[in-house]
Amino acid sequence: MSESRRVQDFNRHVAAGGKVEATDWMPEEYRRAVGRFVEMHANSELMGVLPEREWILRAPTLKRKLALSAKVQDEVGHAQLLYRVAEDLGKPREAMLADLLAGKTKFHNVFHYPTESWADVGIIAWLVDAAAIVAQQALRESSYAPYGRTMKKICWEESVHILHGRDVVLTMMNGTARQRALVRDALERWWGPLMQMHGPRTDPAKDRDLAWRIKNKDNETLRQEFLTVYVPRIREIGLQPPDPELRQDPDSGTWRYTEPDWKELYAVVTGHGPRSAERLEFRRLNYAETQWVRDTVLAAPLAA
Amino acid sequence: MPGQPMQVYEVFRREREGGPMQHAGNLLAPDPELATHYAREFYGRRQESVRLWIVPRAAIVDLDDPDLLQPPFDRSFKKPVGYSTEIKAKLAQARSRAGTEQVEP
Amino acid sequence: MSAQALDAPVRAALAGLLLAMADDEFVLGFWDSEWTGIAPLLEEDVAFASLAQDEIGHAQALYQLLADLEGGDPDELAFGRRPEEYRHARLLDHPRTDWAFSVARRFLYDTADAARLDALAASAYEPLAGVVAKMRREETYHLLHMHAWVERLATGGQEPRARLVAAMERLWPDALCVLAGVDLLVEAGVLAEPLAAVRRRWLAGLAPELERLGLPSPPATPPAGCRGPDRSDDFRWLWEQFTMVRRSDPEAVW
Repeated sequence: MSESRRVQDFNRHVAAGGKVEATDWMPEEYRRAVGRFVEMHANSELMGVLPEREWILRAPTLKRKLALSAKVQDEVGHAQLLYRVAEDLGKPREAMLADLLAGKTKFHNVFHYPTESWADVGIIAWLVDAAAIVAQQALRESSYAPYGRTMKKICWEESVHILHGRDVVLTMMNGTARQRALVRDALERWWGPLMQMHGPRTDPAKDRDLAWRIKNKDNETLRQEFLTVYVPRIREIGLQPPDPELRQDPDSGTWRYTEPDWKELYAVVTGHGPRSAERLEFRRLNYAETQWVRDTVLAAPLAA
Repeated sequence: MPGQPMQVYEVFRREREGGPMQHAGNLLAPDPELATHYAREFYGRRQESVRLWIVPRAAIVDLDDPDLLQPPFDRSFKKPVGYSTEIKAKLAQARSRAGTEQVEP
Repeated sequence: MSAQALDAPVRAALAGLLLAMADDEFVLGFWDSEWTGIAPLLEEDVAFASLAQDEIGHAQALYQLLADLEGGDPDELAFGRRPEEYRHARLLDHPRTDWAFSVARRFLYDTADAARLDALAASAYEPLAGVVAKMRREETYHLLHMHAWVERLATGGQEPRARLVAAMERLWPDALCVLAGVDLLVEAGVLAEPLAAVRRRWLAGLAPELERLGLPSPPATPPAGCRGPDRSDDFRWLWEQFTMVRRSDPEAVW
C-alpha cells in the first residue's frame, strides 16, 4: 500500500471517530501534531503549579491547606500523566523539560500572571479551572486514545478543584467587606486572561487539530460554553465580570463581549508575560539544584 | 541498589471488592520498589482502589493481530445473537400450533 | 479513660504532649509542602506531597484532641500563637534545605515518631489511642518510602552519600529532641514507658541500618531548649507565611 493511500485511510479513520493507539501506525504529521498538543498541555500543568504553590504555605486554615496542597499535587500528577503520553509518542521527558526551560515550547497564558492574594487562589481554582475543564471534557473524545483516556482521569480529578475554588470564593463573598473587595479585585485582574484562554476564533477548515479530531471543539465554542455556565454563577453572588459589553443574545444564546486583547495573548505565550521569565528561571534553578538526585537514581548500574 | 535507567510500569487496579483488575495507566520509576510507591500515589491516594498490580511494560506480552482476534468467517454459532432471530420465528410457529399465543417467554 | 478521670497535673502533661506532637506534625507538613511542584522527579513530587498532607491531617486530629481537652478549635491552636509559643522539636526548626536534608530529616522524624506512637498505642486515654491507631497505619507508608530513599542516597555514589552524611550530622542532635519530655504520663497509663526509654528503643532499632549503610550515629544527649521558646529565624519566616492571611483580616472566616 502506498504511503499516501495509507495516510488517506488514516484520515478517513479518524474523521469518522476512529481511535489511534501509541503502537498504531500514524502519519508523521499526526504524530508531531499530537505530540506538540500534549506537550503544551503537560507544560501548562507543570507551570500552573507555580502561581498557586506559594499559597500552600499561606493557606489560612488546616482545611484550606489540605485542599490546596491536594489540588497542586493533582496538577503535578496531571503533568506526569501528560508527559507520559507525549513520551510514548517518541520525545523523552528530559527533552521536553529542557525545551520548556529554554523557552522553546509554550504553556497556557493564565500561568504567566501573578497571584496577589488569597482571593486569587479562589478565583483561579474556580474560574480558571472551569475554563480549562470545558476544553478538557471535549478532549476526552480525542482521536488519540491514550490522550482521551488520560483526559477522563484528569476531568474526574479536576471536579473537586472547582468545588474547592467555589467554596473559597463563596466564603469570602459571605465574609467581611475587605474579603469581598479582594475577590472583586481578583476578578478584575483575571477576567482578561480568562477570556483569552481558549484562544482566538480560528477557521475550522484550516485547523488540522480539528480535522484529525485531536481536539473536537473549536476555540469559540469552548469560550461560549464557559460563559454560558459561569457568567450566571458569577453574577448570582454579586460579582460583575469587568466587561460592559458582555451580554447574551436572547434569541441565539450567543455571548457578545469586548474583543479580547490577542496581542497580549501572543506576547504572553511567547514568554513576555508579567511572570513568565521569573517562573521559568525559578524552575531552571530548582531543576539544576536537584540534578544530582536524578543522576543518583538514573545512573547506569555499576559493573556486575 | 544502585541507580538504573527509568522504566515504564503499567498499573492495573481493582476498584472495589469482587471487581476485575483494570488497566489504569502507566508511570516511570527507577526500580520496582519506587514503582509500587508511585502506583499507590497515582492510583490509590484518594482511596479509590483496593488492589494494584504494577507490571514493567517490558513484561507484557501484547497481541493485536486482527487475523487472530477478528477472524472473518461467520462465528455467530458462538454467540447468543446467532440464535435470536431463529428462535423468535420458531417460537411464534410453535405457539400458534399449540394455541398458546400471548404466553410470556 | 476519659478526660474527666485525669487529675490536673496529668491533664496538663497530656496537653503538653498533644501540643508537642501536633506542632511537630504541623511544622513538618509545612516544610515538606514546599517541595510541591519542585521535587527532583515528577512521580516523587506527588509522593512527597502526600507525606506532607498526611502530617497536616495528623496535626488536625491532634489539635482537635487538645481542643476537646482544653477548649478552643484546631485552627486557632494551629495558627493563633506567637512563634515562641510553638512546641515543635528543634529538628523541625530547620528549613527544607536540599533533598538529602529533607530525606534525612523525615527519616529521623518518622522513625522517632513511630517509636513514640508505639508507646501510645495502648494508651489509657482512649481518644488518643484511637487517633494513634490511625496514624500508625498511615505511617507505614512514610517509613517504607523514607527507608527507600535513605538506602538509595547512602549507596548511590559519592555525592548523594556525602550530602546525606552531612545532613544527618547536622540533624542528629536536634532529632533527639523529638523524644524529650515529661514522665508523669507513664503513671497515668497515657504513655507505656518514659520518653527516655522510647528514645533508647528508637536508637537501638536504627543502629543496625546505620551501621550497614555507614551512616553517622547520634550524640549521647539532646541539646538544651528542645521545644522552644527560642525558635530559629527560618521558623519565624515560616510563621510569617502561614499566619499572613489570617493576620491580614483577623475577624474573617476563610
